[in-house]
Amino acid sequence: MIREDSADSGSLLQGTLEMLVLKALARGPQHGYAVAEWIHHVSHQLLKVEEGALYPALHRLEMRGFLNAEWGASENNRRAKFYRLTAEGTKRLDAESQRWARLSAAVAFVMQSS
Amino acid sequence: MLPAISAFFGRLRSLFRKRRMDREMSEELEFHRERLREKYLQEGMSESAAERAARVRLGDARRWQERLREVWSFRLLEELMRDVRFSLRLLWKSPGFTAVAMATLALGVSANTAVFALIDSLLLRPLPVPAAHEMVVLDLLEDGSRPGTSFCTPFFRSLEGQSDVFQNVFAFVNDTLQVRADSGNVSVHGVMVSGQYFAAMQVKPLLGRYLTPADDKEGGSPSGFAVVISEQFWKSWFDGASDVIGRKLTIANVPFTVVGVMPKRFMGADPTQQPQIYAPMSADPIIDAPRDHLHGGTHAWWLTVMARLRPSVELDKANAALQAVSTSVLLASGGEPEWIKDEEMHHFRLAAESGSNGFAYVRSVFRKPLLTMFAMCGGLLLLACLNLASLLLARGAVRERELATRRALGATRARLVRQLMIESLLLAALGTGLGVALAPMVSHALAAMLSGGNGPDSMVLDASADWRLYGFAAAVALIASVLIGLVPALRATDGDLNEQIKNGQHAQQRHARAKLIPRLLMISQVALALILVSGAALLATSLVRLYRTGLGFDPHGVVNIAFSMDKQQLDGDQLMEIYRQIEVGLKAAPGVKEVSFQSIVPLSHRNWNGTYSTPGGVRQLIWLNSVGPEYFHTMRIAVEQGRTFTWSDSKASGMKIILNRSAAKRFFPKGDVVGRQIIDHDKGVYEVVAVVGDAKYRDVRGPATPAGYVPIQQDPQKKPSLNAVVRVDGPWAPLVPFSRELAARLAPSIPAPVIRPMDDVIDTSISTERMMALLGVFFAGCSLLVTAIGLYGTLSYTTARRTNEIGIRIALGARRLRVMMMVFRENAVLVVIGSGAGLAVAVSLSTILTSFLYETSTRDPWILAAATVTLVCVASAASILPALRASWIDPMQAIRAE
Repeated sequence: MIREDSADSGSLLQGTLEMLVLKALARGPQHGYAVAEWIHHVSHQLLKVEEGALYPALHRLEMRGFLNAEWGASENNRRAKFYRLTAEGTKRLDAESQRWARLSAAVAFVMQSS
Repeated sequence: MLPAISAFFGRLRSLFRKRRMDREMSEELEFHRERLREKYLQEGMSESAAERAARVRLGDARRWQERLREVWSFRLLEELMRDVRFSLRLLWKSPGFTAVAMATLALGVSANTAVFALIDSLLLRPLPVPAAHEMVVLDLLEDGSRPGTSFCTPFFRSLEGQSDVFQNVFAFVNDTLQVRADSGNVSVHGVMVSGQYFAAMQVKPLLGRYLTPADDKEGGSPSGFAVVISEQFWKSWFDGASDVIGRKLTIANVPFTVVGVMPKRFMGADPTQQPQIYAPMSADPIIDAPRDHLHGGTHAWWLTVMARLRPSVELDKANAALQAVSTSVLLASGGEPEWIKDEEMHHFRLAAESGSNGFAYVRSVFRKPLLTMFAMCGGLLLLACLNLASLLLARGAVRERELATRRALGATRARLVRQLMIESLLLAALGTGLGVALAPMVSHALAAMLSGGNGPDSMVLDASADWRLYGFAAAVALIASVLIGLVPALRATDGDLNEQIKNGQHAQQRHARAKLIPRLLMISQVALALILVSGAALLATSLVRLYRTGLGFDPHGVVNIAFSMDKQQLDGDQLMEIYRQIEVGLKAAPGVKEVSFQSIVPLSHRNWNGTYSTPGGVRQLIWLNSVGPEYFHTMRIAVEQGRTFTWSDSKASGMKIILNRSAAKRFFPKGDVVGRQIIDHDKGVYEVVAVVGDAKYRDVRGPATPAGYVPIQQDPQKKPSLNAVVRVDGPWAPLVPFSRELAARLAPSIPAPVIRPMDDVIDTSISTERMMALLGVFFAGCSLLVTAIGLYGTLSYTTARRTNEIGIRIALGARRLRVMMMVFRENAVLVVIGSGAGLAVAVSLSTILTSFLYETSTRDPWILAAATVTLVCVASAASILPALRASWIDPMQAIRAE
């Protein structure tokens, strides 16, 4: 019943985006804006996360028990919703990054073959 | 938790927290927009440009909400709720259809649930005691006869010590106790139990203790006789006093000590009796005085014996153990050697059968009628479902265009079937709900019919609902919804989409198969209705014949007034003097025409028999009664020869007897009867003083048995309790206070006399037949009604669909009578085929009813013909209205409507 809806997810595949979100949150609890900014920054401005894909991804991950959310104070002292990895989420991130490593290696082999 | 499961719960939660989640979402997005704006400002944009850029980037708030909501929305459930709302609206919009459907179903469901409640209470429900499966009922078996469940004292006492396979062996007997109240003696429903009864039941008393083997000693325990009372009796008699333990109850003029109170849920070993007082069996000589069954040896078969198996013992092992001790029990009984030899020859043995739902005598009587009734109810429910299915089918046909359009707009077939099924499920649920709500009323009425009034020997049927009943109702609703919904839903959504949209309303050019299903439904409906109607006709005819059968006496206007004289002081001539005074007193009562006495009320299930012979002749068994002067005149039994009794036929004047015609013929096939002698088995000589007409004695069914009457003054009982037989003109109700006053004046120590009209006795004696016939007629009426509704409804729908076709026919000159016949014929064909099929099945099934029928053949052509004609008439009446309406169609309007 998870809707696979990629209309607005930009250039990122949905699964990949979720993996990146989990990775962003592995450093500690963050609000949505910080997650987007972090990915943007760490990818050397190559990946731009659309809000239209980010928030559905966050909510979906929360719904599936990979994230917890609670309200807290942001760095400029405003109320913001902070997401935090659950134990399930950490496991998921491990599995996803292994899968990604295999996949990207395989893609690299294919692309480098002559 | 698995992600999918936690997502499921997340969605479920979000269903109920919509508003809050919406609010938080807006806040979250607002925060994001704010941060973007700040970032743009830092990058050097102007205030307004930053504001605009942030807005543009985030876009329309409403679109956001939609997208996020989709993440947590519960598609299936929400669609389901939408479907339910839609279906409810549809049902609401056609109130006529909904009402008919609900009423039809409710009828079927309430009848089924009610009968099931009785079956549950009588046949299925276990005794409310711990480990009820360990309980067994002990039987006596002989070759070729049904197992006997009555035991004599010696048999029971030998078994009581059997502890190899049984934890406890116990006996009980239901009885009516005379308890002293302020106003004199009162009859209270009680039970006498053996010492291990309560130990076997394992139910703790509410107060005090229960009876133990020490209480079941001859003459009671050293501190006198003890009794245990029910919670109900404790509340009504002692006002729920907390110091009730140790208080005295005077039963049969002897003090008994209350030692315990049993909780309400405890109802003893017989679930159809709810005893108020539990007295030890050893008190029988007092409670039943002047009779003494306890010391009656092998002549008093008065006990029901049950046992509790040891936890690990199977029924087979218990049976083997009982078989092994059978002969020694028989030999130790102290019975006459002749009788013992006879029993041994017939392979007498003891046996055990499961007693997990206790021992109820009525179970053997009512099992078959109840199951037959259940089958009839099932038939009615099936009929209701068939009827609804064909109505829905017809309705589905009308909605074809709507459904086709929805399919064209992209709805899948599964989605439409689901929606239609929800509609039928709703109908089924509403109908079942209504039916279940009505069921207690119906089952109370049935239980009242079964238990035969409120007499002291009537039974209590606890037809209250339990989990079995609710499970049953739920199953009925589910099955009904599938039965009524599936075929119409599949039918309404199949077929060629283009065809349907193009042709719309008059899409009848569909293949023959399409018309087959609704026709088959209608045919089976008619057939089923005919089966029910002919069954009812057979039962009703049989009942009428039973009532018409010559009773040999005229019961109308006769009431029996029972006087319990056995516990008062007087006997012999002094007691007879009391009866004389009662006769004089009653004669003075308003409306009373004649008064006499009898010891046995005919057809009341109390019997008395004996063997007599002519001097030197063979012994014959005849049924006996002791009657007062004027008895035959009061009962309107013809006196064919000789004279009736008078008050001067005392014991001293020589024994007299009056024979009925059958008995006279047996003893004296030739010659005069009056003045001759017959001899009883103790060589006592009786002079025959008259021959009277045959009257039914034990059973309404079958010919009258040979019977003899002796004068009440010569009744062998020491203190005979007689029934005054009073023929009244007009209502008998005034006799109640009158006789009570009379008894209080003439015999102050006896309980209030009990009045029972003879008609009531007869109704009770054929209560099974009466109930079956009444129910049969009720079900037949219902099924006729349901069938009529079905035929009418379906034909109305199909005719409505053909409105413009018929309009065109009329416009082209078709005569209205022909149009009417054309429409009418549609149903007529179905009814004829259905009746034929129904008749065939009815004839083959009706043998089930044989045992309920009296002098009525299950293939009586007149009855079957009458049933068929009735059904055909009702069906025709139901079909004529739509046909008439079709012939009144205004061609101009019909065509313009297109």
